[in-house]
Amino acid sequence: MEAVIDVAGVDKMYRRKVHALRGVDLQVGAGEIFGLLGPNGAGKSTLVKVLLTVIKPTKCTGSLLGKKIGDKSALANVGYLPEHHNFPKYLTSRQVLRHFGAMSGVDRQTRNKRADELLEIVNMSNWANHKLGSYSKGMRQRVGIAQALMNDPKLVILDEPTDGVDPIGRKDIRDILKRLKSEGRTVFLNSHLLSELEMVCDRVAIMVHGLMRQQGTIQELTEDGSGFIIRANAPLSPSAISAFQSSCPSIESAVNPNGLEIKFQTSDADKVQPAIDALRSNGVVIESLGARRPSLEDLFIQAVNEEPGGARPGAQSESPTTSKGAHS
Amino acid sequence: MILMQTKAIFIDAYRELNAKKLFWLTMVINLLAVFIFASIGINEKGFSALFWTFDGQFNTSMMSAETFYKLQFLLWGVPYWLSWGTTILALISTAGIIPDLVSGGTIEPMLSKPIGRGRLFLTKYLTGLFFVGAQILVFTIGCFLVLLLRAGSTEFGLFLTIPIVLAFFSFLFSVCVFVGIVTRSTITALLLTILFWLMLFILNVGDSIMINQRERALMKAESMPAMVEQQERFAQTKIDRWIDEGKPVPGMDGEPLPAGAEDSLEAVSTALMIAREEADDAEKGVKTWTAWAARVYGAKLLLPKTQETIGLLSRHLIEDEELDGLINLMNENNENSQNGPNSELNQRVAAVYEARTMTWILGTSFAFEAILLGLSTIIFIRRDF
Repeated sequence: MEAVIDVAGVDKMYRRKVHALRGVDLQVGAGEIFGLLGPNGAGKSTLVKVLLTVIKPTKCTGSLLGKKIGDKSALANVGYLPEHHNFPKYLTSRQVLRHFGAMSGVDRQTRNKRADELLEIVNMSNWANHKLGSYSKGMRQRVGIAQALMNDPKLVILDEPTDGVDPIGRKDIRDILKRLKSEGRTVFLNSHLLSELEMVCDRVAIMVHGLMRQQGTIQELTEDGSGFIIRANAPLSPSAISAFQSSCPSIESAVNPNGLEIKFQTSDADKVQPAIDALRSNGVVIESLGARRPSLEDLFIQAVNEEPGGARPGAQSESPTTSKGAHS
Repeated sequence: MILMQTKAIFIDAYRELNAKKLFWLTMVINLLAVFIFASIGINEKGFSALFWTFDGQFNTSMMSAETFYKLQFLLWGVPYWLSWGTTILALISTAGIIPDLVSGGTIEPMLSKPIGRGRLFLTKYLTGLFFVGAQILVFTIGCFLVLLLRAGSTEFGLFLTIPIVLAFFSFLFSVCVFVGIVTRSTITALLLTILFWLMLFILNVGDSIMINQRERALMKAESMPAMVEQQERFAQTKIDRWIDEGKPVPGMDGEPLPAGAEDSLEAVSTALMIAREEADDAEKGVKTWTAWAARVYGAKLLLPKTQETIGLLSRHLIEDEELDGLINLMNENNENSQNGPNSELNQRVAAVYEARTMTWILGTSFAFEAILLGLSTIIFIRRDF
């Protein structure tokens, strides 16, 4: 797949004090919806601003739409919605769209036509001639998204697009994103609203403290943490624990503190069968048995808790007792 | 694309100014000033205002109606209205252009467009000048029409006002933009620019005082040798008479000199002694005031010449001969005064200002503006937002 964004070793140090980006590598393919996750202060917006020449990187190699990072001409095909945008309040939404269209080099006739079309798409046609000063946060966000699409961009970068938008508005935005994907555009989403990303993204990356922790499709990322959970009706006896561990020594497993649940780190159901047999032969009554797949939120929290120098202060370990074949 | 972007920035600037109401408020005041300009006049009887005529010496026999209007334009239209009134309103309206541009949420969408930072910044700077340009244009066209309709004159030289006042404003606006990009604060940019303007005003007043004092001292120093010579002649005559009368002359034939006298001439003439002392003082005065005038001139050299820039207009708009009648009248009123417009001191001071060439005035001022604007642009280009 052709890479729309392809950067390596992006580094940004502010005034030799704050290390905002620490050698970030990122590839975003054409036509995909890519989500960048991360807690506040992770460096997500800084990375986007580096791509858009708003911030100068300390170090960066790579390209945006086939042109070197920093090349302004590439931006003619990029649409951008900043996180805390502040479009002129003295302009109407139609004027905002036409203004930014002109700034992107869209000719007069096209931008007039496109402004009306986009206002229709973001359900703001009735407010086209009202000044932004009278808009709610959600309405301004809709206009912002329309603004990002004025130049018919190949790449759309949206920084927290659902910020301040009500549930109906969020659904509308999701629909717009799907529409953009169907039109073959690449969408880069910056958000910490995991459920939103999970619903629309083809690939995600998790960024923490200026480092890219994980990157891949949601399927790929969650596969590692997928497995099975067996729940017994009473705490497991030591002999039962010993029995199931010796029955499947190749699978990593963990018993939760109350001794009722066992988690198996494998997506292969066949490998868990000997453990079930061992438990049942030791008189354990299995109350429930199910597949477990971590959510994006689980991955996110896990990534955030994995501090570069150790565990995040105050963070709780998910599994107090873990083993790979043998319970400790 | 460059033209399209530039046009978009200018349209946006107009809408912003329009939203602030100050653009139209200033325009209305501008038209009011033109109305006042049109309502006054001069005829064969005297000065007129609206429907009334005030009989007096101040009439068309002293100066033509055309000269009268040009004089009014130069006396209050440009220095008070355009240089002060419009400039203050323009600074209030435009001081926020750069701080608003670099504010969070506004700058990101602008920088993410295919436009170079330098061009974006300089275009924004030009939008500030556009405000003043539009106001001056309206005022000048109004005054031109007044001159045409009331005095039958087509004085196209009036339109020199536009580049000259625009240059004057641009010097101050470059300071405003520099402070704006450094501090990102509209109010700080406005206050520091006004403070800078006040400093220039004080410097100009200081310059005027120093030149006046230096020329006064020079005039005195130039007149002293003749006075000393005259007193020396009187003293020599007195000595000759004393020798004829056989009286002893101090300092001659072994006669001692009285205290304080340097020679026989001073010994017989206290007036000569005083004249020589005054001549020495005048020389010292020349040195002192020349040194101070040079210091002020040096300080001015590095800064924009606001007063001289505005003064360029009177150099080109009105001929000295046109004002002969007025000057004669003023001289008659100042018959016993040394401060008349034709007094030697005033002529010498005027000559000093005239010697400051347009190249020097505008060259050094634009150099100041270019340096400040260059620094502001570099800061804008290098800054992370």
